[in-house]
Amino acid sequence: MFFFGLPSGHNCIKPTLLNTVYYFDELIVAEIRKKSEVALRELYKMHFPMIANLICTNSGTEQEAKDVYQEAVIAFYEKVQQPQFVLTCKIKTYLFAVCRRLWLKRLAEKKRFTGKIEETESFLEIEEEMTDIHEKEKRYITMSKAMERLGEPCLSIIKDFYIHDLSMEVIGNKFGYTNADNAKNQKYKCLQRLKKLFFEEHKEK
Amino acid sequence: MNLEQEQIDLLDKYIKGDLSAEEAAAVDQRLNTDSEFREKVGQHFTMIREMKFQDQRNQLRVVLNEAHDEIENPVRILVQEKSMPARAAKNYWAISGIAATVAIISVVSTFFITRSLKNEQSAIYRELRRNVEKIEKSQKIILADIDKEKKEKKSPGNYAGTGFLISANGYLTTSYHVVKEYDSVYIENEKYGSLKATVIHSDPANDVSILKIEGVEQLHLTLPYTIAKTETSLAEEVYTLGYPREDVVFGAGSISAMTGYKGNLNAYQVSVPVNPGNSGGPLFNSKGDLVGIISGIQTETAGVAFATKSTVLLEVIKNEALDSLSNPPTLSKQNTMRNATRVEQVKRWKDYVFMVRVYKN
Repeated sequence: MFFFGLPSGHNCIKPTLLNTVYYFDELIVAEIRKKSEVALRELYKMHFPMIANLICTNSGTEQEAKDVYQEAVIAFYEKVQQPQFVLTCKIKTYLFAVCRRLWLKRLAEKKRFTGKIEETESFLEIEEEMTDIHEKEKRYITMSKAMERLGEPCLSIIKDFYIHDLSMEVIGNKFGYTNADNAKNQKYKCLQRLKKLFFEEHKEK
Repeated sequence: MNLEQEQIDLLDKYIKGDLSAEEAAAVDQRLNTDSEFREKVGQHFTMIREMKFQDQRNQLRVVLNEAHDEIENPVRILVQEKSMPARAAKNYWAISGIAATVAIISVVSTFFITRSLKNEQSAIYRELRRNVEKIEKSQKIILADIDKEKKEKKSPGNYAGTGFLISANGYLTTSYHVVKEYDSVYIENEKYGSLKATVIHSDPANDVSILKIEGVEQLHLTLPYTIAKTETSLAEEVYTLGYPREDVVFGAGSISAMTGYKGNLNAYQVSVPVNPGNSGGPLFNSKGDLVGIISGIQTETAGVAFATKSTVLLEVIKNEALDSLSNPPTLSKQNTMRNATRVEQVKRWKDYVFMVRVYKN
């Protein structure tokens, strides 16, 4: 793979600490691994102008640039969290390549564009990466749609229990159930509904 | 068939690690043996994983949207960082290293960019002194032919601006920045040819300089215009003459604001088309009276130029340094072209407007 993954067979120059550009990127990666929001924000701000320029000079708007760029940054963030992650090229190069591909795809979907954006560097070996990114985006959309259809108070109960790790007693109090068992019962029904909606959405894809 | 409520409870406890060792072992046992149960449990765990995945992405979106707001509205950075200390504090020390690096890089690069601007003023406000050398290069081909005919042609000087007569006894005015670095100054126009001038007095704060034509005690003329003693009005139509090139150029516009660059009370903002070389040129109203001196433009905005007010010029002239001269400037008291047509006014004004050539070794 070209950008990330196993260090063997990549085209990028191996990063060394002598290389200041890489040194800076390594620092960002190390901080993002620790889930630093500040680092993520700095990274985001650093490269947005480049992507805005890419999209806006290729029949896109700034809003579309924002959407595409956020998707790429999220993909990068998730990539960095993987234990086997190794930085094998500049973050900037990665973001540019991913955004370019995402934008080409959107343009194709909109049928607004039939040509191609000039390649300034070789992005040929990003296929696997793109497949992975598209797959994750689908997963995100599937669950988001299911949750949207689930509605309240079900969504909050489920989230409080599974994501915010609240106990059924606390949840029961919060939503005004007379006892924890009633709350538990409600949570069970909500979960079954969400499951049904989720797998429906999943099949539609 | 779905999992029973009790089974869900059990699995939730299993995930959260709330089961005793025996209970957990029992669940493991069943997962290993009961394939139907395993499939359903798999679905349940997938759901939970997907919920967590979706939630994590949502949180990332929040952070990225905040970052985006900071790009669009940099002022909010301060407000936001103050209001979220709890979340940011954790990784603050290490990340401040990154922030510091970014800051240093931008400060250093800004420093170099600013230095390369050469002259000390802000990039936004550009003085309209013309760098003759630059223009001359581009005109080389045209000049080559002329040069053959007139070998004695004078050097065009290092800088050029515009100036105009303020009194019949040989005083003229221009912008201070036109003549601030000089060894000798010559003025030139169609009617009078080239004359040597000396800088008598400069007021850098108001960007005004007073020059005197050397060896001239009295020109045989009466100036047809006066210098306006009061400020002109917003939207008043104004005109200028200047030397952005070797020929005199006329421009028209109006007073667009009563203050100049960054609210400078001593200048107007005018919508007159001006170019490097126009500095020091007269700005006159429909009666032909002088209301200002062209001084600069705002580089980031098209059609914004500034002119020093004539009231400021009058104050400079009244300055004691000039009053104490044996032959102080005698200002004209009467406008003799107030009812003339524009064309006629410009024709008369033209004779009193000069190209100011500044030579510096």
